[in-house]
Amino acid sequence: MKKLIIKSILYVFLILIVLEGLVRVFHLGKDTPTRFLDEHKVEKWKPNQNGFSVTGNRRQNFSEYHINTTGYNSYREFTPTKDKIEIALVGDSFIEGFHQNYYNSIGKKIENALPEIEVYEYGYAGYDFADQLHLVHSYASQFDLIDHIILGIKFSNDLTRAEYQVVNSRLALESPVNRMLKKSKLIVYCKSIGILDPPQELMYRLINTLKPKKKTVPKDDAEILKIKNENERKYLANFKSLVSKYGYDKKRFTLLLDSRITSPLFLSYLEENQYNYIDFSTSFEASDRSTTLIYDRHWNNHGRDVIAKNITQYLRDINFIKN
Amino acid sequence: MLFNSLDFFIFLPVVFVLYWFIFYKKIQIQNLFILLASYIFYGLWDWRFLFLILASTLVDFFIGQTIYANDSTVKRKAWLWVSVIFNIGLLGFFKYYNFFIGSWVDFLSVFGYELKSTWTLQIILPVGISFYTFQTMSYSLDIYYKRLTPTKNFIAFATFVSFFPQLVAGPIERASNLLSQITTKRIFNYAQCTEGLRLILWGLFKKVVIADSIAPIVDDIFLNYSDYSASTLILGVSLFSFQVYGDFSGYSDIAIGTAKLFGIELMSNFKFPTFSRNVAEYWQRWHVSLSTWFRHYVYIPLGGSRVSKLKSVRNIIIIFLVSGFWHGANWTFIVWGAIHAALYIPVFLMGRNRIYMNTVVAENRWFPSLTEILQILLTFSLVTFSRVFFRSESITDAFGFLEQMYSNFSYETYQHPLGYRMIDYFILLGLFILYEFRIRRDERSPFKFKSRIVRFVAYTLVILGMLLFFDDNIDRSFIYFQF
Repeated sequence: MKKLIIKSILYVFLILIVLEGLVRVFHLGKDTPTRFLDEHKVEKWKPNQNGFSVTGNRRQNFSEYHINTTGYNSYREFTPTKDKIEIALVGDSFIEGFHQNYYNSIGKKIENALPEIEVYEYGYAGYDFADQLHLVHSYASQFDLIDHIILGIKFSNDLTRAEYQVVNSRLALESPVNRMLKKSKLIVYCKSIGILDPPQELMYRLINTLKPKKKTVPKDDAEILKIKNENERKYLANFKSLVSKYGYDKKRFTLLLDSRITSPLFLSYLEENQYNYIDFSTSFEASDRSTTLIYDRHWNNHGRDVIAKNITQYLRDINFIKN
Repeated sequence: MLFNSLDFFIFLPVVFVLYWFIFYKKIQIQNLFILLASYIFYGLWDWRFLFLILASTLVDFFIGQTIYANDSTVKRKAWLWVSVIFNIGLLGFFKYYNFFIGSWVDFLSVFGYELKSTWTLQIILPVGISFYTFQTMSYSLDIYYKRLTPTKNFIAFATFVSFFPQLVAGPIERASNLLSQITTKRIFNYAQCTEGLRLILWGLFKKVVIADSIAPIVDDIFLNYSDYSASTLILGVSLFSFQVYGDFSGYSDIAIGTAKLFGIELMSNFKFPTFSRNVAEYWQRWHVSLSTWFRHYVYIPLGGSRVSKLKSVRNIIIIFLVSGFWHGANWTFIVWGAIHAALYIPVFLMGRNRIYMNTVVAENRWFPSLTEILQILLTFSLVTFSRVFFRSESITDAFGFLEQMYSNFSYETYQHPLGYRMIDYFILLGLFILYEFRIRRDERSPFKFKSRIVRFVAYTLVILGMLLFFDDNIDRSFIYFQF
């Protein structure tokens, strides 16, 4: 029995080491850049990092990222001046684009279409509207030099806060334990493919059995509708609050949104108050191919093409570029 | 509790350690502990159905003793019938009740009597009922045929009925093999345990990598068969052949491996049926415990092949129809059984049904001959054709599938429903077939390599395969649990 236990442990240990090596050799696990909080309490990536983002068990999506000196994933450095024409794309992981090669981003696609402008992509996974306006506000001196700013917004996700606060749960990902775990590519890989979900769920299940159980009363349709309406009003109020707190230049700022998943209440507010926005829903609907990746809801290369075309067309329509 | 769940991976080591460290001293304690563990294993799925197992156990335990104690053939037979009616009654109610009512309503509607099927009930099929009822019935049958002396130890008998590794999907054991081991004290055996662990690993590979990764493709093709051309439908049903094989033989390997950890040897259930050279050989290699059961308790009592050719053919038809019906309460399974009878009868009439009984393909060679390859391909194609009925939801769907294959006889490139690369699956299956061919002589030793390093590499590759093809979004239950 002793022999069986010792040999089993030894085999498991050796197999884990070999698997760690294989995952590294075939680059099956994704690299994750280090994040930090800067002097303005803006959360971003530590500058000058390179790596590969991997999705799926068998590297179904494999792309390279490059964090520039400003702390965002982009092939270029952000050096706004009065002489050049620049636009900024500010948003979450869709703008950040770890799921694409950094030299084939939405910004690069826009630059290809409009060679006279520079596009700065301030994308960061998890950024909501509070993060975005706080960033623009904190780095006002830089953003004031940028000619036009496009802010990606998803109504149901991005307006849950009325003011900016540091998101500690995201920064906790940089805790010593997490940093140590991230060093094992095998753990990162297993986590990304969901093989570690059952033990995690079991842990939560055990924790929840110790907690007193709350009775969940099923909601009827009227109640669900009521909650939805309340949320919509709350999100609109948050939008107003953020705009008044951090400032919003209606002439220079444009929202990028999908009207299919945006509240009509919010859309009519934007129109009534002359907020400009780019609605890419029609283009996505008209697309004969899928605009998202297989593994997640992020835009694939075709989706990014569509977004880039929408933005380019918008810039032409407002005579930002004269051609 | 599924073999491929985290719950089982916690349950198994705990039971293993307690069994060999605490409850190992006396056989009675070993059995009582295994019985409790088995009831917990089953009860975690649905504790209410434990009463069914207990009822089946009690009935056959006492009937077995009564048959043995009686000298009168009439009384012995009467008690045997009580056992058979009770067990078949359980199966009939839980598994076939709605089928019979539905079929009766359909039958009457042919003659213009439109009845509302108000008699159908919302019945949950207790997992494993087809397996443990057959096992308990075999006990009474063996005592009736004087092949077995009944045990007086109820705990041992209850352990035989509910032994958790094989409780829910077999192998269906006969008392002469399993009960005799349960009534003997088990002593820890290192070699047996390592063999068990290897079988568990190989079984998990077959389930996680082969069966589960193919499942979304098969589901997509069978669900949307009317949208696809013949090439895709052939791909779908061929992949289903591998899926069902990986699923069920994977389960059986884990069951046999787990039993080994507790010092019990279960019978082999799969002997590389993919390499069968005719349909008769296929049935000697596929779901062996069920085929053996039907041979012993249905085919031979009917006269087997020792009667006239005509009667033998009748017996073959009966055994395949009953076998099909055992799989599920659906006409698709009965047609599936009928197809196999139709495939088996010519082999039987030509006297070729036993020629491959004790040999494997390419017996003393590295590679099979061209004839063997053609035989294997033909057998695989015929068996795969029958699976159209096995997999389809209804007879209408099965014929619709075949009709679509005929009417849209063309080639098209199939795209994975989730967008994955199809080439990955073809490479995987190619390697799997080659590996199974390499180990074809011994189904109980999937990692039989002299070199420790080669063995270690094989373990690592198998685990890597599981990581590469693991999919957390699919239903991971075993196909044969529904039977």
